Formats: sequence, C-alpha cells, structure tokens
Amino acid sequence: MWKKLKNAGLMPFQSLRSKLVFSFLLVVLAGGLASTIIGTQMMGDIIVAEAYKKVRHDMDSAWMVYREKLTRIQDVLHLTAKRDLIIRSLMGGQLEILMRELERVRIDYGLDMLTVVDRNGMVRVRTRTPHCTDDYRGNDELVRRALKKEVVSSTEIIPQEELAQEGGELVRQAYLEFVPTPKAKERPETMETSGMMLKAAVPILDVNNDVLGAMYGGTLLNRNYEIVDKIKHTVFKGERYKGKETGAATIFQWDLRISTNVKDKNGLRAIGTRVAKDVYDQVLENGRAWIDRAFVVNDWHIAAYDPIRNIKGEIIGILYVGTLEEPYTDLRNGVIYSFFGIAFLGLILVLVLAYFITRSITRPIAELARATEVIAGGDLSHEVTIQSRDEVGRLAESFNRMTRTLKATMEKFYEVNTKLQDLNRHYLEMLGFVTHELMQPMGVLKGYLIMLEDGSLGSLVTSKQKQAVSAMLRKVNALINMIQKYLQLGRIESGRMEVYKTWIPVFAEALHPILEDVKQQMDARKMEVIVENEEAFAKVEAMADPVLLRIVFSNLIGNALKYGREGAKIWCGFREEPDQILFYVKNEGRGIPADQLTKVFEKFSRLEGELERKQRGTGLGLFNAKVIVEKHGGKIWAESEEGRWTNFLFTIPQEEKKS
Amino acid sequence: MEGLAKVLVIDDEPDLVEMLKMALERQFEVSVAYDGLEGVAKARAEKPDAIVLDIMMPEKDGFTVCRELKGDPQTASTPILILTVVADYFGRTKYAKQSGMEIEADDFISKPVDPNELVRRVAALLKK
Repeated sequence: MWKKLKNAGLMPFQSLRSKLVFSFLLVVLAGGLASTIIGTQMMGDIIVAEAYKKVRHDMDSAWMVYREKLTRIQDVLHLTAKRDLIIRSLMGGQLEILMRELERVRIDYGLDMLTVVDRNGMVRVRTRTPHCTDDYRGNDELVRRALKKEVVSSTEIIPQEELAQEGGELVRQAYLEFVPTPKAKERPETMETSGMMLKAAVPILDVNNDVLGAMYGGTLLNRNYEIVDKIKHTVFKGERYKGKETGAATIFQWDLRISTNVKDKNGLRAIGTRVAKDVYDQVLENGRAWIDRAFVVNDWHIAAYDPIRNIKGEIIGILYVGTLEEPYTDLRNGVIYSFFGIAFLGLILVLVLAYFITRSITRPIAELARATEVIAGGDLSHEVTIQSRDEVGRLAESFNRMTRTLKATMEKFYEVNTKLQDLNRHYLEMLGFVTHELMQPMGVLKGYLIMLEDGSLGSLVTSKQKQAVSAMLRKVNALINMIQKYLQLGRIESGRMEVYKTWIPVFAEALHPILEDVKQQMDARKMEVIVENEEAFAKVEAMADPVLLRIVFSNLIGNALKYGREGAKIWCGFREEPDQILFYVKNEGRGIPADQLTKVFEKFSRLEGELERKQRGTGLGLFNAKVIVEKHGGKIWAESEEGRWTNFLFTIPQEEKKS
Repeated sequence: MEGLAKVLVIDDEPDLVEMLKMALERQFEVSVAYDGLEGVAKARAEKPDAIVLDIMMPEKDGFTVCRELKGDPQTASTPILILTVVADYFGRTKYAKQSGMEIEADDFISKPVDPNELVRRVAALLKK
C-alpha cells in the first residue's frame, strides 16, 4: 500500500516516523469521518424525531385550549339554565326579564349568540335579535339532544341565514373571500359565507325535572383570534427565534384559514388563504392527522394538522399547530459542527500524540540504526543503550549480544590469524633459508655438469654417459629455477619486499643481465631473442627497483624460453604511452587459451593439457611478476593467439623526472 | 705477457671454489682465497689480473673487500667480477645507494654460475 501511495506521489515521506504519523492520520481520518457521518445522521434523526414529538405534544395542548373554550361555553350555559330566575321567567312567560338577564350573561361571557327554545323547539328568546323569534330550531342536532336533557357542545358550521337570524354582524364576521393560494386545491367557490362556531346546548328543567325548553349559545370562530392566540401563548409562550415567532396555530373552516396567527407577507393574519392540497387530501378527505415539515408562508415549519369534527362526527375543519423548523435545523447543524469540531480537535490531538508517540517508538530504532552504523564502521566495543522493554529493546539486547559474540569471534579470529601469520613467517623464513642453502650445492652441481657435458673435464666415453650427464644438467637447471622462484616468493610473501625505486636505464639494468644469463639456454633450444628498437630501448629510463624489475624480466623470459617453440624467436620491446611505459615479451608457441589468460597469474597456477606435464613450472613465476608490477603501480596481462603466439605485457607508471 | 693471465677467486664455499677453479683453469692461472681477509691479502701480494668475488662471506663480506681493493691504488685498476644472485638482496649494486650498499664492481654474474659464461666474462674484462 505504501508502495502504491509512494508511486502515486502521495507519499513523499521516507522515514519510519513519517510513515507512522501518516498511518495514524489515515486511521483517525477514516474513523473520524465515519463516526461524524453516522453520528450527525443519528443526531439529525433524533432531533427531527424530537421535533415531531414536540409538535404532536403541542397539538395536544392546542386541543386542550380549544376544548377548554368549548367546555367553558357549555358550563356557562349549564349554570345559567339552572338559575331560578331563568327557569321561573321562562315558566312564567316573562320573556322580557329572561331576555335582559340572558343578554347580560351573553355579554359577560363573550358569547356571540344565546338563544332559548321551548320544549317544542320554537325560539322564545334571541338575545341579539329580540325581534326574530318563533322560528323552529328543534331540527338542530344540539337542540334536539338538549331537549332530551343532554348537555352537549361541539364545533358546528352555521349557514349564512342562520347567522343572520342569530345576529346581524355575524354574517359579516363570517364572510371571507378566498385569497389565491398557490398550492391549495381547486375549488369552484370563491368565498365563504357560513361560519364555524363553538356551540353548546343545555336543557332547561323545572323543579320536577321536566323539560321546559333548551338554551343554546356559542362563539363564532371566524376572525376570532382568542383561541389561536391563547394556544400560541400557552404552547409557545410567545417565544421568538431570531426575531421570528417560533410557533403558530390556525383554525380552518374546511380548508379556509378563518382564525390564525400565521402572518402573511404584509405581516397581517393570513385569513382567507387555504390549506395545501396534500394536507387537504389527507385530513379532509381521509380524516387522518397530518404531520410533516411544511413551508408556511415564509419559513419551513414542522406542522401538525388534525381534523375538527362536528357533533355528528363529520369533518368540518382543521386545527393546525406549527413550530418553526429553524431552531431544530440550527440545533442539528450545531451538533454537526460540534461533531466536526470534535473530530478536528481529535485530529490535532492525534497528530500531536502521534508526533510524540512515534518519536518514542522510532527514537530507539534510530538509535539502533546509529549504533549499527558505528559497529558496521568497525567499532565492535560500542553497545546500544536502549531501555525499552518492547521488541526494539529485545532487538537491541540481541544486537548487543550479537556484537559481543562477534567481537569475541573476531578476537579469537585475530588471535588465530596472528598465530597463522607467525607460522607463515616462520615457514617463509625456513623456505628462504632452505632454498638459499640449496642454491650453493646446486651451483656447484650445475658448474660441473656443464663442464662434463662440454668435455672441458675430458670427453665422456659412452653415449649413455653423455645422456646421463645432460639429463642431470636438465634436472639441476629445473631445480635451480624452482629454488629461485621460491626465494622470490619467500621474499614477497614475508612482506619484506621493499621497493627501492630509483631512476634506472631499464635495458641495461633489468633486461640485459637476464639476456646474458639465459644465453646458454637459448642456444641449447636454438632460440633467439630480438630486442625491438634496441637503440631507443637503451635510452628508456623508468622509476623502478632494478632488482625487482630484473625478476619480472627473468620470469617472463624464462617462461618464453620454456613454453616457446624450439628454434623460434622471442621479441622484447617497449612502447612509451601517456603516463606509463609498456614492456612486452612475446614468444612463438602454442599460446594460451583465452579462458586461462588471467588464470596464469594466479599462485601455483598450471596450464591445463598434456604438453604441460613435461614442462612443469612452480606456478610462481608469473604470480611473483604480477605482485612486483602491481607494487610499482602498474598492470600486467597476457594476450595470445592459440597455436601461434603469446605476449606478456606490463606497464610501469612514468613519473616526472626531476633533474 | 708471460704465460696465462692470473685470476683470483674469493669465495667461502670450498666446493664452489674448486668448481670455479676447474672452470677458469682452462684459460687462466687461478689462485683462490676462502674468506675476505685472505682475499684482500692475496690480491695485494699476488696482484692478479682479475678477481672473481662472492658477496656473502663471513668475517669480511664482498662489499667490504671490493671497497678496500678499489680504494687501494695498488689494486684499484684490477677488474672485479661479482658473483650475485638475481633475486638476492645483495643484487642492489650501484643503485642501492639508499641502503648504503654502493659498490663499484666492473661486472656482475648471476649465481648459479655457468662456467663457460664465467670464462667468457673474465676474458672480456681482461681485454679492456
């Protein structure tokens, strides 16, 4: 995953610590985001549910206010109907007195109408329109029930002619033209002429509890704001939110607002407007309560609509209670903001914590890394000091243990190595001593054998004697060669090979003496050495150790002599190159396979193949030459064409000659 | 010149001296000395025409002998041929000034010696 992020360029960090902090951040972001989303969703739901519950509750309170008003009207009528004065004046036909008394009651209790009928349902007294009597009211449901001794009250629709009968102003009070309302249901009417009334009816009984008549009265709701304002004041307590009223109540006559404290755009009570179609359908058509958010006039509200029924249970209107949604949305937003705020604070906290925690986690690792660098640098006595008891601590502990073991092993190794070096030195000294001691008798043997062979000491008699002498001479020469190589090796390997560099004429000091030495052997094999460009060669000077350079030439020419074809030529030469001089010794012969061109310089190396058996060398000559050339800062290598020639080349760095 | 040229061989190894003597006797009159002291004494007394001198000797080594003889007007002109080993430390002849082993020999010949080559070289020195 890291790799991916890194490839995508999202991960510019490299240190362990940055990775840890980044991981912390990812985890917290993912967790924080998830819990914030889920949390705000949940809180939002809870707040909405709470708001609905409150509106439901408000609706109950509204109904209480509404019914209280209705009950009060009923109570007033009930009490009045029981008064002696009322009963007696009705019985005695003293209608003037009855009228006066009832008019007082009507005004005292704020009723819009108060009417008495006799036991046959005929109107006897009408307080507001005294002249209008003797009409039949027995067909009115409430009156009918009152004449059957029931005390009843309900909301009722009162037609215009009835309003006109009960009181002239009531017609005007009830009359409302429809105000065009965008979402309202289409209706053919354009106005409302009837009214909606809180109405009660009670029986008037004599002493024998027989029905004398009935009394009915009520309050017209149209343009009467007492109930809605009381609802507003008891339920919403007149609270305002950001200058807006938090709640409102409305009474609808059918779908028409007849009493409300919802204000229109001009700040006036929005009577004459009508309810939205969807509410109309659910509440008026289907008789179900409606609760949802609704856009009322200017703002979103959480609104509840309940049907209002008359005494027969028919739906005649709607009671509405609505509360401003804004406080709830603000509350929800507040919760969301605080969730995000908390998440953000958490993020900061986690970053700070991560900073310190990762430091405490990575510090030992960084220390460990530093310590390993010190130890890797060779200081094995360095110990990692980490006290933590976690995996890093364990790692540090085992690291220390490992270092100690390594140190102990190294010391042992060093000890053994020192012993080995001592042994090797002893061996090399011994080698030097033995070979040097061997050289003397060999020299004597060689001298006598040469003289025997060439007849200087008298001619050999038989061919077998001659054969024996030349065989001995060959073997002695081979032995001498071997001893010489071991002498060189002993010197080189014992570390006592000091290079005394000085300006020397290379030809005179290093090459010529060797050519002199091998002359005899050359002649024996009918071979010839050709020094190319000899005049120039004689002038070549180099900064080198003459004795060591002589060993190099000796070994190369010795090789050429040994492996060169009998009767063939050996070429020696040089070439001046920038910063160095190149020397070469080339012979005609079988050559060296390409894969063995570097192998020949290895210690004790032998060329593979049948023919080499006869010419067994020490495997040291070229190795010695290589060590010497490299000690001079040069290079040595071989080139060859198999079956034709071999060329050994080496370079000596050319230094600026100080005059 | 009356008879053969005289060559003095100075070496501490009797068998080698014997061999060298046998080789040189074919052309020269040979006398021998078995250490440096004897060698210097004989060189002064016998005044040889050439000297073959070994380096590694007890008592007085070849360097010292060479220096003494070259420093003595009586023997300074006598050519000296030094016996040396190619890989030997003492092969640092006139170029070994750093180690204080400067030597002014007339020629050098590698050990082990080829008797015929020795004769040839001595003869060459005498011709000069």
